[in-house]
Amino acid sequence: MTDALFLALSALAIWSGWRVFRVDSMVRASFQLMVSFIAVGLIAVLLAAPYIGIATIFMMAVEMMVMALFMVMFMMNPAGLNPMVMVHQHRFSVAAGSLAFAGLSAAVLLSDLPVRPVPEGAEVVRDLGHELLGPSMLIFETAGVTLLATMIGAVVLSAHSGRYGASDAGSRPPGLTPGGAPAGRKPEGGGGHHHHHHGGH
Amino acid sequence: MIVATLALLLALPPLIWAAAMFDRIGTGRGAIVMGPIRNGAALMLRPNTETEAPDRLNRLLAPGWYLALALVGLSVVPLAPGIVATDLSTGLVLWGACEALTVVVVFLHGWSPNAPLPLIGAYRYVAIGLPAMLLSMFVLIGAALPAESLSVVEVVEAQRGLWNVVRQPLGLPLFMALGLAITLRGPFDYADGAELAGGTSAEESGPALALWQFARASMLVAFSAMAAAAFLGGHLGPVLPGPVWLLLKTLAVMAATVAAGRFFARMPPARMLTFLWVVLLPLSFVSLALVGVEVLE
Repeated sequence: MTDALFLALSALAIWSGWRVFRVDSMVRASFQLMVSFIAVGLIAVLLAAPYIGIATIFMMAVEMMVMALFMVMFMMNPAGLNPMVMVHQHRFSVAAGSLAFAGLSAAVLLSDLPVRPVPEGAEVVRDLGHELLGPSMLIFETAGVTLLATMIGAVVLSAHSGRYGASDAGSRPPGLTPGGAPAGRKPEGGGGHHHHHHGGH
Repeated sequence: MIVATLALLLALPPLIWAAAMFDRIGTGRGAIVMGPIRNGAALMLRPNTETEAPDRLNRLLAPGWYLALALVGLSVVPLAPGIVATDLSTGLVLWGACEALTVVVVFLHGWSPNAPLPLIGAYRYVAIGLPAMLLSMFVLIGAALPAESLSVVEVVEAQRGLWNVVRQPLGLPLFMALGLAITLRGPFDYADGAELAGGTSAEESGPALALWQFARASMLVAFSAMAAAAFLGGHLGPVLPGPVWLLLKTLAVMAATVAAGRFFARMPPARMLTFLWVVLLPLSFVSLALVGVEVLE
């Protein structure tokens, strides 16, 4: 039963992972990747890691939703339903893919994998918590803060220059009269005065 | 496990009916008791509408996924001591995964018809739904801390002395914000709002719309049962048997959620986004910190 589930979930993970590169829209690709990760998360549940497995499903649902949204925001094909080619740099991708596959296969086949079945009634979630908030705390906290800073930095860097010029200039509404003050709600914190002054030059 | 699953499946249709009745009280949308059945039957006889170049698979499956997520979320709630459909040591995380996937499903429901109004509803909903889901997780961690477990069974057992709603007064109101968001209701109904002619459901009719409404009502039941278990002591209570207490508390949370959806006005999406990130999310941090201090003592 467990073996059949494992095989079915592995097949689903591989198939949906392959579909990521064959579908023609960013939204479809994101959610195919999500299906792949959900299958991997369920395999982790089968491997007696309920927290890691279900947390993977949870994180990937949020992550792929955000990714789909951001890709649609930053891509040239905003709606996501119009067909587009999802692969590029063919030769480089083929080489990188083959190399990664060979390396990972070699690692799986050559390394001495531990055979230690989890004893019945082991408190795996509690053990994981003690590990994460004990010996590994520094690593995880550092990695978490670094990732957060990277994400904020990437968005700040990529969000400023838009297709229609600087994003803060593009988002300012035009004036009611030619060259007049921007229409609509004034930005908070006295920013409106500065813009008005700047616009007068 | 089998007893609990059967009991849930038997109790769900009447509860969904009750949810639909709550939604009708005082709105003048037809008969309160028979209205939901009549409208549902009428929808089943109508054809589904077609749109131009839709994503057929996701359009077909979205209402079913929504219902499935409600059922999975409901399955972690214990009905009585020792009777629970999914006895999982990480039940709260499973509920969180259902919340997160609900945002995905509502997005796909709006994205798949390939039509403007549903798409606007879908994008608006993601922006509001994700932070609402985030704050609910902090609140649920607060409910898990006194139990020292992520299992919903343990969370209920830890409330034998004092219910979490008294111990953590901020928890239930903040969790209700999530309930409004995942059941597309009132101040958080950015997906299916009337100003978008039904939003993600604007292009739907017939059985697909009937199933979507059915799933939305079952999500209200699942959320209310979860809120009752996490904050109101679940099946705990004097004199009456456990499942009756859980039923009464679930109905009370359902009524309160529907009332909150009517009472609070909806803000423009941008202002709601600020409100969520700047007011509600820090409030959930405060709630969690207070629980932490209390547990340490």
